[in-house]
Amino acid sequence: MVEQVVTRRTVLAAAAAGGAGVAASRLLAAAAPPARVPVPVTGTQANAMGLDWVSPLENTPAKIAHLLRRTSFGYTQAELEQSVSDGYERTVDRLVDTKIAEPPAFPNGDNASRGQPLKIGELQKWWLDWMLASPTPFAERLTLFWHSHFTSDFRKVGAQSPFMYWQNLTWRKMALGDLRSMLYQVTIDPAMLDYLDLGQSNPRNPNENYARELMELFTMGIGSFTEEDVKAASRALVGWRAPRTEQMVKAQVEESIKRTGNPPPNVPKSDTSRVGVFERNRAVQGGITFLGQTRQWDTQSVIDRILEQESTAPYLARKLAVQLVTPTPSDAYVSQLAETFRRSKYSVKDVIRQIFASPEFTAPTAYRSLIKSPIEYMLSAAKALGNPALTSVVTASGPGMGMTLFDPPSVGGWPNNESWVSSNAMLTRVNYATAAVQQTRKLPPSGNAHEVQLDAVLGPPTLRLLNEAGDERRRWMLLLASPEFQLK
Amino acid sequence: MNQGPGVSGISRRDFLRAGMVFGAGAAGLAAGYAAVPDVFARAVYTAKQDGVVNDRVLVMIQLAGGNDGLQTVIPLANSRYRDLRPQLSKAADTALPLNEQWGLSASLGGLHKLYGEGKVAIVQGVGYPQPSQSHFDSIRVWETADPTRREQDGWLGQTIAKNYDTAGHPLIGCACGTTSVPGALRDLEATLTVVQDQKTFKFQGGEDVDRSVGALYTGTPGIYGALFDTAVATARDTVAQLKTSAERYVPKAKYSDDSRLVYSSKNQLAAALQLAAELIVTGTGVKVLHVTLGGFDTHYAQQNRHEQLLAYFDQAISAFYEDIAAYGMSDRVVVATWSEFGRRATENASAGTDHGTAAPVILFGDPVTGGLYGQAPDLAKLDPRGNVGYEVDFRSVYQEILGSHLGVDEREIFSESFERVPFIKRA
Repeated sequence: MVEQVVTRRTVLAAAAAGGAGVAASRLLAAAAPPARVPVPVTGTQANAMGLDWVSPLENTPAKIAHLLRRTSFGYTQAELEQSVSDGYERTVDRLVDTKIAEPPAFPNGDNASRGQPLKIGELQKWWLDWMLASPTPFAERLTLFWHSHFTSDFRKVGAQSPFMYWQNLTWRKMALGDLRSMLYQVTIDPAMLDYLDLGQSNPRNPNENYARELMELFTMGIGSFTEEDVKAASRALVGWRAPRTEQMVKAQVEESIKRTGNPPPNVPKSDTSRVGVFERNRAVQGGITFLGQTRQWDTQSVIDRILEQESTAPYLARKLAVQLVTPTPSDAYVSQLAETFRRSKYSVKDVIRQIFASPEFTAPTAYRSLIKSPIEYMLSAAKALGNPALTSVVTASGPGMGMTLFDPPSVGGWPNNESWVSSNAMLTRVNYATAAVQQTRKLPPSGNAHEVQLDAVLGPPTLRLLNEAGDERRRWMLLLASPEFQLK
Repeated sequence: MNQGPGVSGISRRDFLRAGMVFGAGAAGLAAGYAAVPDVFARAVYTAKQDGVVNDRVLVMIQLAGGNDGLQTVIPLANSRYRDLRPQLSKAADTALPLNEQWGLSASLGGLHKLYGEGKVAIVQGVGYPQPSQSHFDSIRVWETADPTRREQDGWLGQTIAKNYDTAGHPLIGCACGTTSVPGALRDLEATLTVVQDQKTFKFQGGEDVDRSVGALYTGTPGIYGALFDTAVATARDTVAQLKTSAERYVPKAKYSDDSRLVYSSKNQLAAALQLAAELIVTGTGVKVLHVTLGGFDTHYAQQNRHEQLLAYFDQAISAFYEDIAAYGMSDRVVVATWSEFGRRATENASAGTDHGTAAPVILFGDPVTGGLYGQAPDLAKLDPRGNVGYEVDFRSVYQEILGSHLGVDEREIFSESFERVPFIKRA
């Protein structure tokens, strides 16, 4: 890379005149005197909005780094180099086709009950540790995506059952599956049965909570169904209840003895099932009109009917495109992805493969067009620093940025991009960067971190401050706190 | 009503550096630096409009999830209510009467006491045409004050942007106890701050980090550049302001957050209101505050949970009122609740209620003329889906708040005019 001495003004002028090509920056060694450092060409160009990043995505290494930022929780220099030597296509294959690695069992997770509740803080850390350690990080990214799509939270579901833990295991297993079987698993997932009340619904006056969100948030989107369809689906889906483990029943008996001296009058039988139990006597019999069709429904046929709706494929295709590609996917792009989704019998893997192969994924406008979620931000910093022990700082810092695992802010899941930016959130991000660097005893060399982590595409202030930084610690802190590192 | 001065022509840095964040009335400012006890807590901000030069403050409390109006303001002797809600209607037996027909939930003892003092206005039957039963869609309608869904900005964000010069005064609009900007306050032209927990709102690493981060976030490129830079600048200004206000404030009431209340992550209402009180009484210039209490989406086993939520709400607002009254500031603050919808008139078979429509809005404070307003929903006339109709458009409530309380020209915010519900005392 040829270093040029230019001012910001000439960069802007050049960009405006000729459309800047890929520009990159080179940092001087940390020891270099800060004064009279020639300002290298920076990674910005003028656009209608002001300055924009110069996309380096026509270069394969940058393209692969971009792919990793969107499919994993960060990477080390060695991991990036391995992927670069594999090449883009093989890296995609690895991400998408490797059999999803299961996390180690969460200690006592299956036995959670009133007497021995799930320790949510430990469960959060258990997942964060696995996000960093898993050989299939894309599966973890997708598990988090589905957690934010098919939401449940421990506040409603509670910790007195294994359900929140089990949901995490299920969401991971189905992460790259087909939507039809996913929706069935979601509907009868014990935590979901509690969270959106389907488990407590009753044919006499059905609970509409799950039926509404199944259509509005999980599949079709608002405006594509009526209030009558909500009522119809809520009737059609009645009959499920959450299972009861042996430990849950035992704890219930013990509690009763402790309180009243006697076991409860009707001790319920425990279930061996780890999914919802269907009670036929609670189901609604007879014809119901749902989405324009009148018949006797069951859970599978309700899901099949939803998948027949025009709106379902584009609704999910758009959500995946926003998650992986750009905050503003074009309708044409969404239609292409939706078409693949339908044709592949709703294979999530096929849509994602198409996304990574599409020109939209590596278009200049896609570069740094997404803001890392707090978990992505914090874990990618831990990865960059090579310090997996930071996950305890991550659990402590997440709430201040608006993200706590197993506790999305509403049934709509976590928001994205600009919603992550507020005075409180930015302050907390900066404080995390400070703490992460402080708590990492042995820092990796920072000299080329701006190339490895930021594609050497830097705004003028970041470049200047990194050049002026006196030591490794300060460089790392600035790099992790920089606007460049907030983006993916 | 005290007419506080607008503070014009002072740059935000001068303002902070000179330590004039509070204690600076007109005389103080003219002298350059002075603390004047009787205007200790006067709102200090720069106004863009003449009418808004006053010391009035608005606190909005969002009851997120859809608060059940019929279990909050309860029909006392309505057989239809008991038919529709065989289990939940037991609440009528213990309700605290407002008049012969209506009572407040027994959990709202503090609010009931304030009602008796003429400081609570309850507007019944508040909603909007063709109501949405989606949380998100209906929240958006209430936040943007636009049932046509064209407006992007929040009604309070627009109010701030059009009426106050927020440069260097990030606390003119503040969301307390949360981490993101609530939709009601969103407006790209409005600078406002978000403070989850005041005690931790500082840069670890102190001044040096504070300055470096300010330098890092200058002219940031890309589509989020301005957003990032504004958020960081706002965070730095807020750190500076909170440092000084914290030194001047000791709560004069007991705030306590109920740790057993685990229904929602948004359950730090007492702490959020305590921060609101601090910002008000230390004269940071705050005009619009927003706090949220979540957990109102009571589809299942509603009774205990809803009563606990209301009791918690009651405890928190009572402490807040006591605190600002002890500081002699209750004459300038109106607190108003909002929720995306009420709940279905009929209870469901899991002893809960599904999403509904119109519900009461509760407002309190010394500037309020107490009483019942609007029109109670007619439980005998439910729509085919089992919902009550609405009697008062929610924008009639908003317009009264803006026009009569904050002194804002509400026509700047709303394209349509609604008949105001006259719950604010006329000067």
